[in-house]
Parts: sequence; C-alpha cells; structure tokens
Amino acid sequence: MSRVRWWRRLVPPLVSAALLLSTVATGVQAGYPASIDVNTSAFNPPCDGDANAIVPKMQAAAVAAYGRLGHVATGFTGAAFTRAATLTRTVNDWGYYVHSHGDYYWHSGDSRRYTGFREDSGDCFQSVIYSKDIKAKRAGRQSNLVFVSTCHAADSNTTMPDAFAIAKTKSTGATSQGPEFYVGYLGIQWDTDEWIFEQRYWNALANDRSVGAAFDIAMLGAFNHAGFDADWWGTYAWSGLAGPITVCPRCI
Amino acid sequence: MRISSMSRLVFVTLAAAGLVVVGAPPSQGADPFVAGGRSTRPVAITSTQTDRALARAADLATALGLPGVSRRAERLDDRFEHHVYDEVVFLDREGNDVSIARFDTDGSVVLAAIFGWQRGHGQVIDRATAASRGLEVATAAGLRVGPSPIVTASQGAGGWSVAWPRIVGGVPVPGDGVRVSLWNDGSFHALTRTERPLAAVPTRRLAAGAAQAKAESIVADRFKVNANALPIRATELAWVAPNDTWAPERPDAPGAVLRLAWVVRFETSGALAERVRLIEYLIDAGDGSVLGGDVVE
Repeated sequence: MSRVRWWRRLVPPLVSAALLLSTVATGVQAGYPASIDVNTSAFNPPCDGDANAIVPKMQAAAVAAYGRLGHVATGFTGAAFTRAATLTRTVNDWGYYVHSHGDYYWHSGDSRRYTGFREDSGDCFQSVIYSKDIKAKRAGRQSNLVFVSTCHAADSNTTMPDAFAIAKTKSTGATSQGPEFYVGYLGIQWDTDEWIFEQRYWNALANDRSVGAAFDIAMLGAFNHAGFDADWWGTYAWSGLAGPITVCPRCI
Repeated sequence: MRISSMSRLVFVTLAAAGLVVVGAPPSQGADPFVAGGRSTRPVAITSTQTDRALARAADLATALGLPGVSRRAERLDDRFEHHVYDEVVFLDREGNDVSIARFDTDGSVVLAAIFGWQRGHGQVIDRATAASRGLEVATAAGLRVGPSPIVTASQGAGGWSVAWPRIVGGVPVPGDGVRVSLWNDGSFHALTRTERPLAAVPTRRLAAGAAQAKAESIVADRFKVNANALPIRATELAWVAPNDTWAPERPDAPGAVLRLAWVVRFETSGALAERVRLIEYLIDAGDGSVLGGDVVE
C-alpha cells in the first residue's frame, strides 16, 4: 500500500471528524446516514406463497457496502419501508439504495410520468414513491451514492437522478461534479443478474476501485440474460466515500 | 463517524497485513460467500507466478492498447464466482489506476478494461462494423471466437456489446462466452471471457412437457387463484448455475458447476404484474428437481 494511497485515505476520516465536531457543536445530526429500502413483501408471503431469497441478501450486501463507505447505513423493509417513512428519512440521507418494483409511472395529478418505485408497507397494496416526491423533500440537497435497483431506473427518460440533485452527466478524467454517483438499470432486468451486478459492484468498491471503475468491472459479469444493461451518472473517479468532499483513491 | 472511519483504517491495515500472511487455498466449500461480505480475498502467489502474470499483462496491453506505465499483480480467490485468478492493475505516472486485466492461473485472459468513461472521439460505427471490430479485439487478445457475434447497443458498455455466447452440444450456456465492449466509435473499452464447469449430461433427459408440468404445479401452489394470470411464455434447455431464489438455505452465491436444466418462464398480467413481471423456474433436466429460478419485479 503506497504512501500516496494512505494520504488519500486519511482525508475522509479527518474531514469527517472535523464535520462531526462541528455538527455536534451545532446540534445537527452527525454522520452520513444511508437508507437501504428493500421491498420483500411483494415477492414473499403474504403476497406470494413462497419465500424469495434474493431480496434479503441484496439488502444485506447494500447495508454492508454503504457501511464500508463510511455511511451510517440502515436497512428498512416491510412496514418500515413505507412512502411516508422513506420521504421522512430522505431529508437526512446522504446515500440511498432501493430494491423494488419500479417503472415510469403515470401521475394523474400532474398529467405526466415520473420514474418511481413501490413501497413495501408490509402488505400487498403498495403505493408508488415518485421521483417528484423525493425531489420535493430533498429540495436540491447533495447526495452521495444513489443506487436504484429497480426496473427502468436508468432509462434515458429517468427522472430519478434529479430527485437526488445528481445531474445526468458523466464526469470523467479531471472533471468532477462532486461526490455523487447514480446507478440504475435499463428496461426490465432479472433479479439474479441484478444480484451478480451488485455484488461485483460492492466488491470492487471494497477493493478501492472508484465508483466508475467499479461500474465497469460490474458490467463484465456472467449475466444469465443477454439483455442486461445498466447506466450511471456522476463523478467516475470518486471513491464513493461518504461526505461532502470528493476523494479519489486511485484517480483516473 | 470518527469511530467508523478509524475502524475502516484499522481494517485496511489488517487487510494489508493479510496480504503478506494469508495463503488460503482456492477451495471454499467450508467457507462459502455470504451476502454482505467481499467476494474476493488475496491468496498466496509466488514470484514466478507474479512475473508470469505481469508478462501476460504486458502482452495484452500491447495487443489492446491498455494504458499504464507500471503494473502490480495479485492472486485473488473470488468466492462469489468460484474462481481464482491473477489480477493486474495498470497505473499511470501519478499512481492512478487506469486499466485492469485478469488471467486464469494458466495464463489465459479472463477480463480486461480501460478505466474512465472515454467515449471515442471518432466517427460512430454501425452494427456490422462493431461486429468486425469486436472480432479484431477478441483475436488480438488471443481468444478464439466464431465469425458471427451477437451485437447489441449497450449503455453500460459505452456503445456496443459484441458477444459470442458459449454453446455446448447445441445447448446455450447463459453468461458464458466472450463479450467485448466497444465505445461507439469502435475503440476498445473492455472484454470478458467466462467458461464455467459443467456437470455431467443426465443419462435420461426429462421431457420438456414434464418440466412444464412441474413448474405449473409450483405456480398453482404458490399463487393459488392468481395462477391463471401466469401463462408459460417459454421452455428452453440451458446450462444454468443453481441458485437460492426459492431456497434460502442454499448458498448466497450462484452454484459453481452448471447443470442442464429446463428454464420455464411465466409472464404475469393484471394486478400481479404490478409486483412481479416475469418468473423463471430452473428444472433439472435429469431428475426434475428445482435448481432455482429468477424474477423480474
């Protein structure tokens, strides 16, 4: 491990410590929360007769991954993953992961479509959380890593990145749009392929790849269905480490 | 946050120390991958093996134009993908990672990628040109592929995905084969080669109708009155990795050895489609057991 890398690694904890001291002094919530919302009820009893084992392990992997990135990561499912709870939590979240049924949903009130996903709510009647709902709550607040593990989350017309104030641009090389990165899937995708992609992604991050390099490595998985595709927007060379500072462990 | 960061630093220190002393065997039967953990861990590699990996990487860099002025190598045991490989990372003059290559322990290429989202600056190529360009890349990397790849536009690839799926005895092996990612001007982005072990072909093959009947009985039991909203859309023979989709007690990683199976696909409709769009059951083509499945939510 090089001295350069150690020096870079020391930046985020030092910055975090400084921010922690300042936020504690002002009474503001400390740390960088990340919510991991996972819809299990739609694919398990009582809604389905059989258990679906993929979803819980996606949750475990995401919680661990966000924790490794320095977030205070908490998993929510069942009655803890409701539209109301998600919109309450998102105000303070720096990181966000969701796995659910997603689509480009019609919003009758606005007579237009928004990208969205369904809550869990612990039952089989699950409301849609539209990107506009999240955007209104976050009000332009900065986000770190946002991973929307649903169908259609990264289609060309997706409105979800904007909800997290992440511009749909790819910043590479020396260009940075700050410590933010959005990952999602195109069209409809199968759970086993999403699981392969996500584990490869989390593992690459754990091995100090940048968020963009991790995406490139994850895309090279042995997917079960030929149509697998994903996309991203944000700062390629960013480390993924929580907080307001862009740190790149091994910059491009 | 301070505690978390300090823990991370301590972990990194321990991990670095582990690079020196860990010499775990590639076998993982007693230590399977568990969701939440890392897939890979460093294992012992001799200086001769390191030198060979670096030499292979130098050859591949020349063939594909992988950037980087220096290289470092390590051997990794990937417990998620059941694979031990040598990973070589290429660095620029400032010590930044700029590309990566992986090789089987016999020296054959497994993966290569140029980091950075450097969409090509040349003229955008069409599908036919992407096919021929992909063939050039695969050949340059020393991979033997056929003349007619499957070419698809891919956002994740950065332009085109050029694939040669593996087929054994006329039966597809989904996920296996060679895949080249090209930027939209045809310049090289990445490649991967996968060839997982296959189980023995069953001595007696289950009929497709029997596999469908088995899957339909599961759906009827699982979805009760909603089962009518799930017609079968396809029943295809394939080599598949057993998984834990319908059996949480199974390992979190896909199985290491692929088995011949009937893949029975159901498509939902009506209210059910608002939760689950498609469902697959993997029915062992020999004994009719359920090897796993898949879901589009």
